[in-house]
Amino acid sequence: MSTDPLLRDERKAEEEPRQRFILEDTGFDEVPAKYRRFYRKWKGPGDALAPNEVVCPVCKVVIRSTRELRVGDRVYCMPCMSRLVVARADDGTLEALVSY
Amino acid sequence: MSEQSPDVHALDPESFLEEVHSFEFWFHSVEGYLSGQTYGHRPDVHGAPLAPDERERLVTVLCNYCIGETAALEGASGLVAIAPNRHTKVFLATQVVDEGRHLEVLLHRLTDVGVHAPEAEIERRATRSLLQFKRRLLELVETRDWEAAIFAQNVILEAMEFTVFQTHARTADLVTREVLNGIVKDERRHMGFGENELGRRLKLTPHIRARLGEVKKELDHLVLESFEETLRALAVPAAERPELGRHYLEVVARLGFA
Repeated sequence: MSTDPLLRDERKAEEEPRQRFILEDTGFDEVPAKYRRFYRKWKGPGDALAPNEVVCPVCKVVIRSTRELRVGDRVYCMPCMSRLVVARADDGTLEALVSY
Repeated sequence: MSEQSPDVHALDPESFLEEVHSFEFWFHSVEGYLSGQTYGHRPDVHGAPLAPDERERLVTVLCNYCIGETAALEGASGLVAIAPNRHTKVFLATQVVDEGRHLEVLLHRLTDVGVHAPEAEIERRATRSLLQFKRRLLELVETRDWEAAIFAQNVILEAMEFTVFQTHARTADLVTREVLNGIVKDERRHMGFGENELGRRLKLTPHIRARLGEVKKELDHLVLESFEETLRALAVPAAERPELGRHYLEVVARLGFA
């Protein structure tokens, strides 16, 4: 068993069922209508992200999922065509890293 | 209706790339933010008259934006011929259309603010560094150097335009703001395409890194100098100017260039 408390928390979280989210269209207009609910505008560093959201590091749009995001999840940023993997940032929050 | 739409994150990587590189995707994307607009802004939006010094600064800046957009238009159209596969060719065709539109709306904005001969004005106000960048970019396209040309155009030029246009839009008159915000939405696709295409290439053929490093050393300062001049002309406070370099440096750092 790992002695790293962060890793232990991560593993514990993996076993718990994920929160589900109903995504509403927030008016993001840069992708075809059928995909709009998966994205929203980022309002800057003070913008609090929900557990189902990460910011795209390439184009700074908020990417949204219908389920709570966890480390290792794959998400796509359609506005800039990037494939991303969710990771744990140094400050403990979730971040998206580009996967080429 | 929205709950019936497909989960984008469930797509497999190949299907995702096929989708986002398609003309179909491009058409339904731009439809969302360009529909109902005239020359890049809502027809009922009118800017307040500009003070003479404001107008003068805006004309200089728009002239240089036109040079950047012309470089991208000529560059992207040349790149269609040397693109490595059909998806990439189709995507670049959409970029050509975007760049042509950018040039058109910027030229129109110049005439809006009273420039009667925009072409001559652009010649007169062009910054040397941006002209030099354009020349080198087109040489890279002409010599069919796919990676170097994509790096110059879709990473260096597009990443910096993305930041400059966003910064300028924050303080611009209403019409210019709408025009620039529309361009920024297109630039997201262009710079994302560049970074991801090069990222994939660098992963498969790491030996190209050294050559691209040379291209970076030769060209990025030309665009940086030109756009820093633009931000000075727009009286953007010095504290906000490092943002221009920071965004670009983040992009090249992700690609593994220190």
